[in-house]
Amino acid sequence: MGKYDKFFALAKEAGLEEVELYVSESRTLSISLFHGEVNEYTDNNGYSILARGILNGKCGAATADVWNAEKAKWLVKEIVANAKVIENDDPVFIFKGSEKYKKINTFNKDLENVTNKQIMDKLYALEKGIKEGDHRVVEVAGTEYSQVRSKFTLLNSNGLNLTQKNNYFYFVGQCVASENGQTKSGYDFAFSSNFDEFDPAKLAKKIVDQTVAQLGGDACASNKYKAVLHPGVVQSLMRAYVDYANAEEVQKKSSLFIGKLGQKVASKKVTIEDRPLQKNAFARWFDDEGVATYNKAIIKNGVLQTYLYNLTTAAKDGVQTTGNAFGGGSKKGISPAFIYLKPGKKSQEELFQEVGNGVYITDVSGLHAGLNAQSGNFSLQSTGFMIENGKKGKPLDLITVSGNLLELFSDVLEVGNDVDVSPSGISASSLLIKKIAVSGK
Amino acid sequence: MISKKLAIDVLNASLATGADYSEIFYEDSHSHNVVIENGKVETSGSNSLCGVGLRLLKNNQCVYGYTNDLSKKGLLTLAESLSKSFNDKRLLTVEKLDMIKCKNRNPISRSYDDVPVEEKIALVREGIDEINSIGDPRIVRTFGVFGDNVRFVAVFNSKGKWFKRTTEFGRMVFQVIVADQNGFETGFEGPGAQQGIEYFRTEKVNPKKVARKAAETALKMLTAEPCPSGKMPVVIGNGWGGVLFHESCGHPLEASAVSKGLSCFSQNKIGDFIASPIVSAVDDSTIPSQWGSIDIDDEGNLGTKRLLIKNGKLNDYMIDDLNGRRMGRVGNGACRRQNYRYIPTSRMSNTYICNGKSTPEEIIKATKLGLYAVSFNGGSVDSTTGEFNFGCSEAYIIRDGKVCEPVKGATLIGKGFEILKKIDMVANDLDLAQGMCGASSGSIRTNVGQPTLRVSEVTVGGRGGELK
Repeated sequence: MGKYDKFFALAKEAGLEEVELYVSESRTLSISLFHGEVNEYTDNNGYSILARGILNGKCGAATADVWNAEKAKWLVKEIVANAKVIENDDPVFIFKGSEKYKKINTFNKDLENVTNKQIMDKLYALEKGIKEGDHRVVEVAGTEYSQVRSKFTLLNSNGLNLTQKNNYFYFVGQCVASENGQTKSGYDFAFSSNFDEFDPAKLAKKIVDQTVAQLGGDACASNKYKAVLHPGVVQSLMRAYVDYANAEEVQKKSSLFIGKLGQKVASKKVTIEDRPLQKNAFARWFDDEGVATYNKAIIKNGVLQTYLYNLTTAAKDGVQTTGNAFGGGSKKGISPAFIYLKPGKKSQEELFQEVGNGVYITDVSGLHAGLNAQSGNFSLQSTGFMIENGKKGKPLDLITVSGNLLELFSDVLEVGNDVDVSPSGISASSLLIKKIAVSGK
Repeated sequence: MISKKLAIDVLNASLATGADYSEIFYEDSHSHNVVIENGKVETSGSNSLCGVGLRLLKNNQCVYGYTNDLSKKGLLTLAESLSKSFNDKRLLTVEKLDMIKCKNRNPISRSYDDVPVEEKIALVREGIDEINSIGDPRIVRTFGVFGDNVRFVAVFNSKGKWFKRTTEFGRMVFQVIVADQNGFETGFEGPGAQQGIEYFRTEKVNPKKVARKAAETALKMLTAEPCPSGKMPVVIGNGWGGVLFHESCGHPLEASAVSKGLSCFSQNKIGDFIASPIVSAVDDSTIPSQWGSIDIDDEGNLGTKRLLIKNGKLNDYMIDDLNGRRMGRVGNGACRRQNYRYIPTSRMSNTYICNGKSTPEEIIKATKLGLYAVSFNGGSVDSTTGEFNFGCSEAYIIRDGKVCEPVKGATLIGKGFEILKKIDMVANDLDLAQGMCGASSGSIRTNVGQPTLRVSEVTVGGRGGELK
């Protein structure tokens, strides 16, 4: 008997028409250093299960993180109780399977054989690299290695049984620099599934350079400036921008992309794709409903190509799902798997030259509070540099940038070629923006 | 639940290689969430969490692991695997476990386990009906949520101590999305407490009042002009306004930052002036039935009231035992974690600025031109540099001592240690508000709070140009 047969039998007995289990198993190893010593060492084995079931056309859900007969019984009981109170009339689905799946391997066996000695050597090198990177570095606030192995399995009463395995690692370092009574901190990370590829000296230099560069900064005059946005800033803003393509938000009239299909929503320089089949740590060849995924343009040359769908929202619009059901419980969430901004041809230096005089924004913080997801209005604490005569100039301290996401992406004059991939699964490069409001002094 | 005998075996296995402290954190909790969207029950979900986290300390080192395999074999395997991080001689053996006794300041009259989901739905529906009764066509989407959590925790440690505690929480949330030809705005209210469902049917907190407030704020902000930018005096409202102190000063006063010299207050000593003399601030985990209260922390230290700032002088920190080792201090009941999957560390509980002598009216009246920031969406801080930001969800311009036009999209930025010294008026209307605080040991329930107060100058970011 399979491990989960008992659950399917109990569900049938309870009158559930269709049921599904989504099982996640993971192992996370983390080691962090502080002042040359192991500060934290963790070895975690995680297990969680999301169970969904349909009763009289309504979908109930429950989650657990241990598996035994008692828990199987509890899950069935809770699914039934939850399904009974649902009033939403949207169609619900336990999927029967796609015709074809384009399986891709995202598991690197070699990573599982990395020894603690190999990890420690790179961590020590990273810490040393930061500490000795510049005389203004006063503290290495921490360095850390994390290695994650995960496996998710989707099983349902329609016979679907899909499994994907995944592994990756990341190094992160944090630096504190000080000069003339001013203190700045900075951090960065590198992630991959190829351990040998990681160069601690390179990451250390990147962290130190961006931290000390902030020293000596001052606020600029409040004004509207021509601007270059660092790829990291573009990633943060693009994440919120792409959410307007979420079909549920559109159907419920709370998206700025309502009625914009086939219309211009951004500058013609902007092409944004969802690439679940790109071979990297974010690759997903089936979504959380078991639908085969595929690469697609969301915005092409500024024109909105498609909304992103799960099975329920697709049925409501009378279209095929785009395989973007990720996250959520009884009701699946909708999101892209890997957001990809098509890079342009110009280097960052060339973008600076095009700006002439303006600002270069390198970081924005407080997105959860300073960005209104519905209206697209944002006002964010930022750091960056002046751009003077086509070159990066003095650092900027205590400024905010504000604007609106729709206006910002419509104001894109150029996309750079300096591609950077974030650990949240977004690939972007620098953007040259016609104007952005900066509040300083 | 694991037996005391098994706990002793696991502790002793983990101590075999020289750890100087070991602790088992067992958790068995369950929560339920029901969401009513546009008047219909949209989702209803149940979640259960059950697992063990094992933490070993040796000097300043921490080794941690968790598992969902709660069998004897599973737990001993975890203990042996983690103990391999050390290779010294055994320092300790646990012979027996004595129970730590603590008060129960957060009793629940009726457990959420005995509240039928229909009762929660009926409660939230009253609020949704109230929003609908406003009858404003600009209201495009409404959410009403009721969430509750019943959490059993047992901790066994190598000091020969153990305790168990059950806590229960409820939270009622209303979110309203409004739209007109100019765009969207949202309103949000989410009171919660360590109390049963009866808490949500009182004079102060009831679905009609809470839901109406969320809708009215959203509608008010919809017609608001973009906030001006620049440096200006800012009057910060009571209750949620306390997120200023939480972010800019609370986090840097946690031992996790202080002990490593990574706090903007690391250079200060107890007794140094770090704030205006009219400012006193507290982190108090002993307020009965409050959202952020704990009777005992996650490593077995009793909850306490910590006077962080006394008349402007630095007075205390939030401390856990491990970070306390670096500071020559012991934990003061501030060690917390989201659940067994997180390593616990020093965190806040109910953190607030104490009442002052002014009245809110006096503060507004004394302000010629400035911003009145009533409430916030939240914010964040870099504890090392003290740089914070937070976004206003409701704000107005003050002109000639009067609250005037509403403004939207205001962001306040600055450095915590500078702002504390610029507080020049504090009112007497202290209130607390409920939030979720995210940091290295996960997302935990905390209260923020303060009376209405004024900061003489803050940098405000907004799209509205210069304040005139």
